[in-house]
Amino acid sequence: MTLRTKLTLSVVGLFGVSLGGLGYSLVRLETKHLQEESKKRSQIIENTVKRAARDALIQQDEILLLSFVKFMTKEYPSLSFVKVSWKSRSKPREHLIGQRSPPITVTERTFQVQDPIRPMRSATIIVGIDTAILNQKVDQEIGRLERDLLRLFGIAMLTGVIFSDWFARKITRPLSALSHVAGQIGSGQLGMRLEWESKDEIGELVQGFNQMSVRLETLDAMKKDFVSAVTHELRSPLGAIESFLRLMEPKLNSGTPQDLDQFKVYFSRIQVNVTRLSGFINDLLDVAKIEKGKMECVLKPMRIQAVASDVVLFFEAKAQEQGVTIQSRLDPNTSQVNGDAERLRQVFLNLISNALKFTPEGGTIWIQGEQFREDGSKWLEVSVVDTGKGMGPGDMDRLFKKFEQGTNSKERVAGHHGTGLGLVIVKSIVEAHGGKVSVKSQVGKGTQFTFNVKLL
Amino acid sequence: MTMKVLVVDDEEDYRLIIKDVLDGAGYEVRTAEHGEDGLAVAKEFSPEVILVDWMMPRMDGETFVQTLRRDQSKKNVPIIMLTVKQSADDELEALHFGVDDFIIKPFQPDDLLARVRAVARRSGT
Repeated sequence: MTLRTKLTLSVVGLFGVSLGGLGYSLVRLETKHLQEESKKRSQIIENTVKRAARDALIQQDEILLLSFVKFMTKEYPSLSFVKVSWKSRSKPREHLIGQRSPPITVTERTFQVQDPIRPMRSATIIVGIDTAILNQKVDQEIGRLERDLLRLFGIAMLTGVIFSDWFARKITRPLSALSHVAGQIGSGQLGMRLEWESKDEIGELVQGFNQMSVRLETLDAMKKDFVSAVTHELRSPLGAIESFLRLMEPKLNSGTPQDLDQFKVYFSRIQVNVTRLSGFINDLLDVAKIEKGKMECVLKPMRIQAVASDVVLFFEAKAQEQGVTIQSRLDPNTSQVNGDAERLRQVFLNLISNALKFTPEGGTIWIQGEQFREDGSKWLEVSVVDTGKGMGPGDMDRLFKKFEQGTNSKERVAGHHGTGLGLVIVKSIVEAHGGKVSVKSQVGKGTQFTFNVKLL
Repeated sequence: MTMKVLVVDDEEDYRLIIKDVLDGAGYEVRTAEHGEDGLAVAKEFSPEVILVDWMMPRMDGETFVQTLRRDQSKKNVPIIMLTVKQSADDELEALHFGVDDFIIKPFQPDDLLARVRAVARRSGT
């Protein structure tokens, strides 16, 4: 059963039950009222006859009573008969007005009236009132009421059905549209949106749904980007190695000094590419570890300034080639920190190779440190600063998210098609040291990555 | 007379490999590291075929091609773009700004030679 049918049925059902109940009690109330009314009426008839009889006794006018009673029986059909038995000096007389039929539906009431001045003059009067006729009237009234109510009930139900159907349609229309769109998303059309605005739960649902859809699309695009970046990052050095190997063989065979020199160049390029490949695979493994929540760092006293100088030395040749100055400005006398030397080396390697990617000729990259106290312990705040191209706030937000890169990293920076893994790794390592990573940057001015480690 | 080929790529590996492959096939090869450098070399070397990478520092392949196509003497030189981009949209965009063919990195040496020969033949040099 569709939601619409259910809604309509339940609204109509509720409507019917409450209207029915209302009508039933109304009819009951009215019946009671009418019955009381008819009782009162028979009482009035009785009393009137009683009074007329008394007046007739006082005025000694029997004819007056008889003609009055006749008039009454004509006027009130429920008054079926009146029997008057006179007692006076003369012999008793009896008058019967109307038909005294066997008392099936006729109730008889007997009463005595007396002349208050001459008590020997009296009369016994029997009044017969036909309850069937009385009730007939009540029944007629109730019947009319019931018909009226039924008509009203019909109109109300019809209105109810139309209204609830309209209402149900209104509610289910966005729902069925939503399920249609959900089906489309399910079949792979990610990012589908439903245009629907209302300030109620359905509006909220649609909004949430749209957000979900967009997020799914983003995630899917990220996955595709990541897969293609990984593919490229694996294929590119492998392709180069393959090509070099192919080119090296004839050089070795010819054996001329010139060819042998070429051979050495290619050999060193193979080494570079193997390093790049294994570095990337290590990054992938690290990220897999982070995904499982197992970035392990063995913390022990170490000299972070030594690690920094080591990494600076490692990049020096490459920086020089690029026309970039690189230096560590950490105080050589900085006391020991509690850290994992190998992991911190990875942090510096990632941050500096990033900085090198984005720093143009003539720029400078340096490492600086500053001590501070927080919660009773001493910390060293380490920054890797560059005078590179910088980035906007939008890029900064995405930096530490898995597989995401700044918008310009794939478009405009050449030769270094990173996978966006480096900073994710940096973040996990620093967090495993109990510290935090932050970034400050200005487009065109440069970028500063900062992290902190605990001093001993 | 040997045919002159200019290779513009910021990645040393590709410069080395392409130069070696083309040298071996008897072409005269000059290399450049980025677009600016490439324009300077193109001016004095007058290459008959140009291989250019898309993404490079300083000046990328797109700007390089557009600048070259504005030069009267260079506007008909066949250009092959080296790229890791693989979508049809990217190729269409590159055709619009004036390249003649593509080579997707990484490539096989035979593929490289065949494409260089093909564009040279089409341009009649």
